[in-house]
Amino acid sequence: MEWLATLGRFGLFAGRVARRLIHPSWRLGDFTQQLYLVTTRCLGPVIAVTLPFGMVIALQGLQIFAMFGSEHLLASLVSVTVIRELSPVLASVLVAAQGGSAFAAELGSMRIKEEIDATEVMAVDGIAYHVVPRVLAVTLACPMLNLVGSIAGIAGAFITAVVFRGEQAGVFMAQLWAFTQPSDLWGSLLKTAIFGVIIGLISCYHGYNASGGAAGVGKAVNETVVYSVLAFITANYFLTTALFGQSS
Amino acid sequence: MSAVRRWLFSLGRFALFCGDFLKAAIRQPPPPGATMAEAYRIGIRSMPILLIISAFVGTNLSLQGYYAFKPLGGQSLVGMFVALAGVRELAPIIAASMIAAKAGTEMASQIAVMRIQQQIDALEVMAVNPHWYLITPRLLGIVLVMPALTTIAMYVMVAAAYVVGVYQLGLNGAEFLEFAVQAADTRDLFYGGLKAMIFGVIICMVSCYNGFYSGHGARGVGTATNTAVVTAAVTCVVLNYFISEMVYG
Repeated sequence: MEWLATLGRFGLFAGRVARRLIHPSWRLGDFTQQLYLVTTRCLGPVIAVTLPFGMVIALQGLQIFAMFGSEHLLASLVSVTVIRELSPVLASVLVAAQGGSAFAAELGSMRIKEEIDATEVMAVDGIAYHVVPRVLAVTLACPMLNLVGSIAGIAGAFITAVVFRGEQAGVFMAQLWAFTQPSDLWGSLLKTAIFGVIIGLISCYHGYNASGGAAGVGKAVNETVVYSVLAFITANYFLTTALFGQSS
Repeated sequence: MSAVRRWLFSLGRFALFCGDFLKAAIRQPPPPGATMAEAYRIGIRSMPILLIISAFVGTNLSLQGYYAFKPLGGQSLVGMFVALAGVRELAPIIAASMIAAKAGTEMASQIAVMRIQQQIDALEVMAVNPHWYLITPRLLGIVLVMPALTTIAMYVMVAAAYVVGVYQLGLNGAEFLEFAVQAADTRDLFYGGLKAMIFGVIICMVSCYNGFYSGHGARGVGTATNTAVVTAAVTCVVLNYFISEMVYG
């Protein structure tokens, strides 16, 4: 029952955020500042994770294709899996771990230090001022970081296959887009935008409702990462089936 | 301090922290009873999250393998793809990042709260070595449970992939299993467990380090927790490439 109550509170919170969004009482300046912060914070970790993962895919993929003597197909497999699946999921995990948990930490410590109460006393709407810019920022930042992650993942595969394993660079580049369609890229961007909304709402919900001193902030950060990853990986299955189920 | 100097400073302090811990851990046996409590907390409490996430990663592996191999006419390869990608790479990585997110952040925030409430200083005043008392049980606990969690993640991943492959995509179940068994063998389970232990050590040391040197106040605890999960996850993924290169390259 406690679980249902939390879900209900989260739903009400999301509704309040959505109402402020339609009725714009938030400022563009806050949004761009949060966007800058979240992209610069997450850029390094996203590249640091997708690049080695691309390298690992090439490493394992070459072994599968070597069995059939069709190493030239590696690049096509890499671009499809990286753009459709790996980069969206890995980039979003990192955005949740870095950007989302930073939101929870910031908002949580503001709540503990009664800074959010202070803004409300000054007749500034706490959700419009603190939450809406952050949710919007992470919604936009997630697809952008996903693009960077896709490029880094493919670059990682290129490094392993061409530089370390001596596959032909020309063949790799020629086969790269063999199975990839523009719709894959749009689907990938749409997916990450939805993941961004999930991360933004869950992290701000936990930060905004933090309680119980410094330990409460730690708990908020912990729950943010766990629940946002859980939520968007579950959503990912349905989105993948819906978006890519009919294509090709 | 510039960013590079700050990074180098942090790296050096981390090395000294690990050195201090090793010195303390060798001198005394671990605090009695605490190791199993930590193993329970890390292992059992992270299990539901890990099960759900590995199941959904497995379903996606199946979907992606199916769409990737469909143009080649090699739909039977899905089983092989799932077994290779899931068992060798994704299960260790997913388990490591989920444990970093769940247990790692918990360690970081607990130790950070102890630091800002001066409980760590209190331990030192009582002549209890905080490295030994706080980190040894956590490290032993996580090293104990990580291989088990990773192995469970492997099985759940392949099982979920099988369910989606056979019931949603209409693949031949026997063929799927045959190719999966062909691709992955006991060697992969062994290396997966080895990877998991190494990742466990990294997660524990990085999380405890960030908690130990947490900044002041509620924001300090939040930042320490945040840095712990990101650093641990990134280090594990980067290291995974080198281990895979060494083992499978």
